[in-house]
Amino acid sequence: MTSDILLRSAIALGIILLGLGIYWLVNQRLLSRAKQGVASLFGTYPNKPVIVYFTTPDCAPCKTIQRPALDQVSKQLGEKLEVVEIDATERPDLAKTWGVMSVPTTFLLNSRGEACYVNNGVARADKLIQQLQTL
Amino acid sequence: MTTSQPLQKVDHSALKTNQLFIIFISLIGFILNQPLLPAFVALVMGIGAVLKTPGFGIIYKSILKPRGWMKPDVVDDNPEPHRFSQIVGFVFLTAGSAALFLGSTTLGWTLVWIVIALASLNAFGGFCVGCAVYYWLARLNVPGFTKQPPAGVIPGAKPKAGAIA
Repeated sequence: MTSDILLRSAIALGIILLGLGIYWLVNQRLLSRAKQGVASLFGTYPNKPVIVYFTTPDCAPCKTIQRPALDQVSKQLGEKLEVVEIDATERPDLAKTWGVMSVPTTFLLNSRGEACYVNNGVARADKLIQQLQTL
Repeated sequence: MTTSQPLQKVDHSALKTNQLFIIFISLIGFILNQPLLPAFVALVMGIGAVLKTPGFGIIYKSILKPRGWMKPDVVDDNPEPHRFSQIVGFVFLTAGSAALFLGSTTLGWTLVWIVIALASLNAFGGFCVGCAVYYWLARLNVPGFTKQPPAGVIPGAKPKAGAIA
């Protein structure tokens, strides 16, 4: 009985890992698209890490969690970071170019303008800082 | 793509709660090899389909939302594709449970896992496959499928708040 539960847990874990693998591949594709989107967003790239934040006016988690998290990160890093906020309802062209399907979505670009991370959904301050530290 | 029909306010937190409970209970059912659990989920989804509400949405409305454990995520959307999606899930889980009770374990758990996978895609990826199927059927003018996706929204993707009707 216990071995059966363990086996089935292992199978479940394997399937979940497979799903996460597919999710990772999709994220890689989004990052690839984001690299193309950088040119359309910046005339001159600021040569420092950038967070591109897609939101909408009525997105509740954006107001209650994502915006405060970005404010916290901006406050902590100051001039070393630039946050670009894009209203997806005003700029659907950019949302399409960057492959954004839901809000909030944040892209983290390194100082060379390469998209290194994408967070579909809410990304808390500690996660963003952790990601920025690896850029 | 545009729609001539007005959109309604749809609380996606209720939908997400429903999906998370579907995933969790079905997963526990698989691990414990207990077909009664996916059958229970199918029953709740069936009741939800009849009442035109997310089956496990009652937990969101009565517990999670009042206590502030989940915040409302209300966007302009069509509720019909989500209801259709729930009916599809109900059919898959009912078929899966029936297969399990009849001894076809591989078929049964495969159907259950399809529901888990699609609910996960919706809950964590924001893409509703059942809704996408609904919109494709609407595009093919299948009777009963009348709604079009909100303007500027990929069929099946979660609409951006403030989508234009």
